[in-house]
Amino acid sequence: MPQRIIFKKMKKFLTIISLSAILFTSCSKDELVAVADGAGKTTLTFDATFNGNDFALNKDFALGTKTFNFTKFRYWVSNVALINAAGEEVKVPGSYYLLEETGAINLVGVNNDNAGTIYPATKREDVLLKEIPAGDYKAIKFGVGVDQKYNDNMSLQSGELSQLNGMTNVSWMWLTSYIFTSATGTVKEGTASKTLKVETGLNANYKTVALNLPQSIKIGSSKSANIVINVDLSKAFDGIDVMATPTVGASQAAVMSAVAANYGGKVFSVKSAN
Amino acid sequence: MNGKYAVLHLSALMLLSGTVISCKKDNRPVENFPAPTPARLEVPGNLPKVADDADNPLSAEGIELGRILFYDARLSGNNKLSCASCHRQDIAFSDATALTSIGVSSKPLHRHTPTLFNLAWAKSGLFWDGGSKNLESQALGPLTSEDEMHQDLYELERELKAVPDYVKRFKLVFNREITSTDVLKALAQFQRTLISAGSRYDLYIRKVPGATLSSQELQGLTLVNAKCGSCHQGELFTDDGYHNNGIDANFPYDLEGIYQGRYRVSFDPADMGKFKTPSLRNVMLTAPYMHDGRFSNLDQVLDHYRSGITYSATVDRALYQNNGNLGIPISQAEKAAIKAFLSALTDDAFTKNKKFSNPN
Repeated sequence: MPQRIIFKKMKKFLTIISLSAILFTSCSKDELVAVADGAGKTTLTFDATFNGNDFALNKDFALGTKTFNFTKFRYWVSNVALINAAGEEVKVPGSYYLLEETGAINLVGVNNDNAGTIYPATKREDVLLKEIPAGDYKAIKFGVGVDQKYNDNMSLQSGELSQLNGMTNVSWMWLTSYIFTSATGTVKEGTASKTLKVETGLNANYKTVALNLPQSIKIGSSKSANIVINVDLSKAFDGIDVMATPTVGASQAAVMSAVAANYGGKVFSVKSAN
Repeated sequence: MNGKYAVLHLSALMLLSGTVISCKKDNRPVENFPAPTPARLEVPGNLPKVADDADNPLSAEGIELGRILFYDARLSGNNKLSCASCHRQDIAFSDATALTSIGVSSKPLHRHTPTLFNLAWAKSGLFWDGGSKNLESQALGPLTSEDEMHQDLYELERELKAVPDYVKRFKLVFNREITSTDVLKALAQFQRTLISAGSRYDLYIRKVPGATLSSQELQGLTLVNAKCGSCHQGELFTDDGYHNNGIDANFPYDLEGIYQGRYRVSFDPADMGKFKTPSLRNVMLTAPYMHDGRFSNLDQVLDHYRSGITYSATVDRALYQNNGNLGIPISQAEKAAIKAFLSALTDDAFTKNKKFSNPN
């Protein structure tokens, strides 16, 4: 059981809540931490967009001289933490979430090809963070991808991690790791059309995104919060010549690092928080 | 805030809050199933120490479950192949085939089946290029590959859940219903127990009464240490590392880099054409040799190191002589002594150990 609440520094005033937390962390490591009084919920919405437009599958999006059309956009968000007014990180335990907008996926090469082994068409943008200690929060942190411990060992499970949902495949299994992000479809420029498959993975490309909220939000048992993250997929292709490299994966290591850096620094921004 | 002041405040607040939450002893739900029996690896004295795997602690029941699964053809898509189909105990869990085609697709593989022993010390990755970081994840490769066991992981769970004995065993070991991830864990537990250190060499080095090596074998030991020991080092007879041993001039990007070796994993140009050092233990049983099984006997292997090294930029420095030429000088007499010593690394106690055999 990971320690749920980490205190970076002690401030002058201790609330009853943080006090309880100290008491809990003094228990043995196997201890389940009881829900502190006043803990609240936050909905975290990852609103997929493309260059200012709402993201949708099978729809043309213009970007410069190119036109993108997607069949799939999926990515892991992990290790979510909220930063409170005192600058302390409140980690959300087991926070591994698969965000996606995808048509049905035949899991050939993942679980193999039995009839019925189809991942259904799914649109998922909301994550509910529960048991957040009451308080004021000013920022949020999360990882894009899966951190090394879990990425290196697929027998470990936490949150929604699974090798059964198509975010691994046989060629990635030979590298035993998760696909961190995947965007597939087509890209056109002039008369040229390419099949687009841009994926990131590998430990070096696990990125942590830290975003300040426009204003502090209050979370507590009487107040649920909502944080909306703008996920601009077009930014993932910043500086990438997708016509020259329409397939990005482990074998295109340098381009993949550049795409991963875009996910780490450009794709995600806070739209609203209240 | 000074410490004393904080403590005072703490006690006061604890009293005020009225209900002080106590620490419970165990958060596992109370079950009627007993806990599994913790187990440790029995490591012979001449082998290095080995650390327990905190993420998959060994238990007697977990090891036994892994052993049953290892020999169960339910693990393959056509229910005809088990792990043991390509990993035969009598030849140190190798398969005596360069590139086997007994997989579900009947297509030959692109790499040679590796041996399975002393895996608890394999810390730099599994597969010939180390693409898998641990035994648990490793199993997903052969289980799902269509040219190997071609299993559907959902079907695997369904098939195992249909067997009451499995339901009971998984519940005992992992305290939950059967999942494919726990199949991986059980297989890994069994494989970590496959320790081979009972050869005549081991008995000699551990000074077991009556254990001897002939003078030719002892000469071979000295030669192996001097001429092979930079890679096949220590009591495991492998450095658990990756080397280009000069068997190819080029490493084309075919089949997602399968011929590029460690480079496929690290993307470091210095790793081009490097493959994992296999152990010399049981080497007399594990022909053919190299990552693609290209050498059918040890004479070919030794001749390769003596006069067959092919130049490429990443050829291991240990394969250069002081004068800059490639190759390791080995006389005919030395070759005979090396082979004599390698025979003393055959571990019959391991290949016949009932604890590792098919339980059915």
